[in-house]
Amino acid sequence: MMMLARQTLLRIALLAALALCLILGDGMRNGVGSASAQDVQVSGPLAGAPAVRKLRLWRDMRLHVEPFFAFTVGDEYSRSLIVGGEARFHFLDWLGIGGWGGYSVAQLDTNLTKEIQAKGVTTNANRLDLPSRENFPDQVGRLNWWSGVELHFVPFRGKLAMFQKVFFDADLDFFVGAAFIGVEERADSVGQPAVGDVSYCEIAGNPDDQGCLGSQTSRSKRTAIAPSFGVSFNAFFQDFLGIALRWRGIPFKYNTGGTDNNNDGVINSSDRIKQFNNMFTVGLIFVLPPKTKTTD
Amino acid sequence: MVALWMAIPTAAEAQMEFSLDEVEEDAKPAGKSKGQGDLIEELAAADDTADGPAELTPQREEIAEEIYAVQQIYALRLKRLELAPSVAFTLNDPYIKRYGLGFAMNYWFTNVLAIGVNFNWYDWGGNPLDNGTDLEFRVRNQFRLGVPLNEWQFGLWANFTYVPFYGKFKVRKKIFQWDSYLIGGVGIMRTQPIPVFDPEIRNFGWQTDVAFNVGAGLRIFLTRYLTFFTEFRAYMWPDKFENVQVDPGNRTDPSTWTQDGSTFVANTSIQIGFTLFLPVKFEYRLPK
Repeated sequence: MMMLARQTLLRIALLAALALCLILGDGMRNGVGSASAQDVQVSGPLAGAPAVRKLRLWRDMRLHVEPFFAFTVGDEYSRSLIVGGEARFHFLDWLGIGGWGGYSVAQLDTNLTKEIQAKGVTTNANRLDLPSRENFPDQVGRLNWWSGVELHFVPFRGKLAMFQKVFFDADLDFFVGAAFIGVEERADSVGQPAVGDVSYCEIAGNPDDQGCLGSQTSRSKRTAIAPSFGVSFNAFFQDFLGIALRWRGIPFKYNTGGTDNNNDGVINSSDRIKQFNNMFTVGLIFVLPPKTKTTD
Repeated sequence: MVALWMAIPTAAEAQMEFSLDEVEEDAKPAGKSKGQGDLIEELAAADDTADGPAELTPQREEIAEEIYAVQQIYALRLKRLELAPSVAFTLNDPYIKRYGLGFAMNYWFTNVLAIGVNFNWYDWGGNPLDNGTDLEFRVRNQFRLGVPLNEWQFGLWANFTYVPFYGKFKVRKKIFQWDSYLIGGVGIMRTQPIPVFDPEIRNFGWQTDVAFNVGAGLRIFLTRYLTFFTEFRAYMWPDKFENVQVDPGNRTDPSTWTQDGSTFVANTSIQIGFTLFLPVKFEYRLPK
């Protein structure tokens, strides 16, 4: 109850602060003038003119091919370093469809994994979760490959000055779709003789796996299907060349630690837990055809 | 002579008054003149030929004159005070969900450089472990590992801000101005260990640590004085955690309660808020 009350108070305080800022801003705007970012008032010969002339169409009926490097963040036990590629075709300058794929070229253990490997304690009460601390990195879940199809919306575009010397076009690409992930987890096993007092495990091909040491390193692979969404900041330096900085979120369930998370004495699909997988990507965009069209 | 001399300015002034009819009648294409573009040379030539048009002398050097139309920067920061309330969410603490309420003040002594302070409050009372994630429980239960944790009270930093990027975004027919900035500074962070390993005996007080921070942010101008901003900040400091070892014969000695060395802590967080620039009005150095 205390926690709920505190969270409620925090939310109310946050909303009140935001409302105060908006009211304050609106009130002051009335006193200062009518110009604002959303209502650019143009007078003189430019009155009535379109917002942008000679707009460069970076995407309209063009193909973007993008090799990228990515890494995951916020992982409990293992991070993935990914190399991959993405291709997008845009029917309109603000709408397109694309596919992407990548392979985890390296997987780095988190500090928590190293701590467990160095200091974890095994007893019969937790033998199913940690048969031996030395082999703990071999039991954690890994994400080996990634792919997906996504719909892309580009509602924001503009130009950017860097150090007031270098100028280039930029836009924000929002995307949503489905992802397919190659998940490698600890294989199913049953702790014996009883929950909370495990001395051996039953695994496929070995009903008497003493100390569950075989269970710890036995693996199973599957393809997980999950929603994916995110946003990308893109900057274009040449007619055919740009750079993309992207965040992608892919929430899905898997057994991150290879442990009996529901404490039923069995390691199986019921032990998968929700993970909000975050991926950051840096990519180089090649645009085809290489010549950029412009509007009137 | 005096009358003639006094009459010249009157004549010149009269020649500067144009009517629409006059312009329409005398309007001729002006593109062929070699002297076009050099106003001073043309005026000098007019003085020499007061009685009527004369042949234009060939220009010795071709002059390419370019005129740039430069749009004024939508909102200037120079010599303005920026007030920025915000909320902070810690990204990388897997054990405790931490929320902060922040406030920052910056003074812009150039249009791209500011000096200021920012303050984040994290201590909302109660047991901080109530905000613990299930990972802390799982680590304790599944691997028999205790995790030393600290709670945070507040952080206070003095910062420099630099704006290397400035741009605008078009959304249909609306244009939003925005900038991106880098920020960094030094300050203090107040923390204390949460007694986990011997909570019956150990009781800790707040400790003050020297802290550093770096970050990058994005600010979107809603008006010339009100912006929405979001920034990524990494707050770093050497922190003292609870000693995971309990000496049975010396439990009450406070010198054994904390770890010998310090642990480097990097709190990466996202801050979201609004900024208000004061004064709300400003003047451009050059007129539009």
